[in-house]
Amino acid sequence: MNANSDNILEIDAVEVVYGGVIAALHDVSLNVPRGKVVALLGGNGAGKSTTLKAISTMLAAEQGKVTRGSITYDGTRVKDQNPTDMVRLGMVQVLEGRRCFGHLTVEENIIAGAYSRKLSKSDINDELEKVYGYFKPLRDKRKSQAGFTSGGEQQMVAVARAMMAKPKMLLLDEPSMGLAPQLVAEIFNIVNELNEKEGVSILLAEQNTNVALRNADYGYIIETGHVMLHGTAGDLLHDEKVKELYLGISKSGRKNFRDVLREESA
Amino acid sequence: MTEFLFFIEVVVSGLLAGTMYSLVALGFVLIYKASSTFNFAQGAMVFFAVLAFVGFMELGLPFIPAFFVAVLLMFFVGFCTERLVLKPLISQSEDTLLMATIGLGFVLEGLAQAAWGVEVRRLDLGIGDFPIQWIIDTAGLFISALDLTASLVAGILIIGLALLFKYTKMGLGLRAVADDPGAASSIGIPLNNIMLVVWSAAGVVALVAGMMWGARAGVQFALVDLALKALPVLIIGGFSSIPGAIVGGLIIGATEKVLEVYIGPFFGGAIEGWAPYVLAIFFLLYRPEGLFGEKIIRRV
Repeated sequence: MNANSDNILEIDAVEVVYGGVIAALHDVSLNVPRGKVVALLGGNGAGKSTTLKAISTMLAAEQGKVTRGSITYDGTRVKDQNPTDMVRLGMVQVLEGRRCFGHLTVEENIIAGAYSRKLSKSDINDELEKVYGYFKPLRDKRKSQAGFTSGGEQQMVAVARAMMAKPKMLLLDEPSMGLAPQLVAEIFNIVNELNEKEGVSILLAEQNTNVALRNADYGYIIETGHVMLHGTAGDLLHDEKVKELYLGISKSGRKNFRDVLREESA
Repeated sequence: MTEFLFFIEVVVSGLLAGTMYSLVALGFVLIYKASSTFNFAQGAMVFFAVLAFVGFMELGLPFIPAFFVAVLLMFFVGFCTERLVLKPLISQSEDTLLMATIGLGFVLEGLAQAAWGVEVRRLDLGIGDFPIQWIIDTAGLFISALDLTASLVAGILIIGLALLFKYTKMGLGLRAVADDPGAASSIGIPLNNIMLVVWSAAGVVALVAGMMWGARAGVQFALVDLALKALPVLIIGGFSSIPGAIVGGLIIGATEKVLEVYIGPFFGGAIEGWAPYVLAIFFLLYRPEGLFGEKIIRRV
C-alpha cells in the first residue's frame, strides 16, 4: 500500500495510559520491516503486552488508550479501528496465555480463526489442510476438546487459529510461556517456517531473551515503558549489557538498564 | 390400575408443563452463554413481548402479522440493548452487567405498561387449556392441548437453536465468545454483532414463552415473576446448556406436580411454589455445575 516504506509497522513515540491514570508506555518507538521477525524483550511489567495491544487495538477492552505518538500499519494510521478491523487488514494478535476456546474442539478453534473471511466449506478445508501442514501434531488431536490438550498443543492451536485469518502480520505475546524447552524450540521453528514460507511479518514479545533473539532478525529491549536498546539480533546477543542483564551471564549486582545508566552517569 | 394411570397422568402433565419452564429458561441460557451474566430482565422481556403482541392484535392486526411485528420489535429491543447497555459496559465486570440487566428489566416493564396499559389481557391462541378427547379415548389420559402445543413449540425452537449453534458460522462465533470473548475478539469475531444476535434471539424466545404462558394465565404483570421459576431450572440443568434448560424444565415440571399431588396434602398443599427451590439447593450442594453445565476446565 505504502510503496515508499519497507516497514509494515512503524510505531513512533507512543504513550499508553490505562484508565486515565496509569501510564504503561512512556515513549516506545519501533519498526518492523516487511517480512522480518522482530523481538520485543523485557521483564514483567516492562510494557511488552501493552505495546502489542496498542497495535492490535485490543487496549480499548482494558480501558487503555494511546495518548501520544502514532502507530502506522501497512500504510494505515491505527487510531479508531477495532480488533475486527485490524484482523481484516491482516494483523492478528496471539494473546498471552494461549487463550484457546476450551470447550471447542481443536478443529473448531482453528476454523473460528477464519471468522473474518468469507470462505466456502471447501475453501475452509483447504486452509485447514495447509495449517495442519505446519502444525502437524494438531492433525491427530483435531477432534479433542482444546481445554484438555497440552500447553504446547494449545499454543499451536492459538497460532494456527491466527493463521486462518490469513495475516500479513502476527503479533505473538510470549509464545514460550510455561513450555518445556523442546516445545519452545518446536513452536519457534514453526513460527520461522510461517515467516519464510508465508511471508508473515512477526512482532514477538518475549521474556525468554535467548530463544527470542536466536529466532529474530532484530530486537528491542524495553523497561518500564521505554525502549532501552535496540539492534540486530546478532549484535544484541553479543552485547555485554544484554548478556549481563537478560541472558544471566552476570558479574555484578546490576539488574536492569536503569542501574547501568545510573552507574555510568555517576 | 387406575391408580397407576393417574400417576402417569400427573407425570406427563408435569413434564408438559415443564417445557413451559424450559422455554423461559432457554432465554436465560442464550444470554448467559454470550454475556456470562444472569439476565434479570428476561422476565420483563417475556412480559414486554407478549403485551406488545396482544397490543398489536388489539390494533386489528391478524395473528401472523402481529407475531412478526412483535418479532421485529424484539429485534429492535435487542439492538437498543446492545447499543445503549452492553456497548458502554464492555470490559466491565460481570457484576456490573448483572446490575444493568436489573435496570433494563425496570425500563422494559415501565415501557410496556406505559404503551399498553396495566389491565390483564386475555390471549386466545385458538388452543384451549382442556384435555384432548382423542388421547382420553386411546390412552385414558387427560392431557391439555395447550401443554402439548407448548411442548411441541418448545421442542422446535430448541432443536432449531441447537442446530444453529452447532453447524453455522454464527453459532461457532457465539460458542467462541462464550468461552473467551477477548480471544474471540483477537481473531476478528465482532462481539457487538454476536451480542445483537443473541439478545434478539432471547427476545424472540421470550415472545414465544410469553404467548404460551399468557394463553394459560392471562397476559399480566405476574409473568415477570413467573420467569424467575427458570432459576431452579437453570441450577439443575446448568446455566450454559440448552439441553440442560430442557431437562431441567422437565425435571422441575414433573417433580413439582408429583410432589404436589402425593406429598402436598401433608404440608397443607401449595408446595409447588417452593419444592423446585429445595431441589435446586440439593443440586447446588452436590452438582453445582448442573446436569449439563459445562464443566469448568482448569489446567493446573
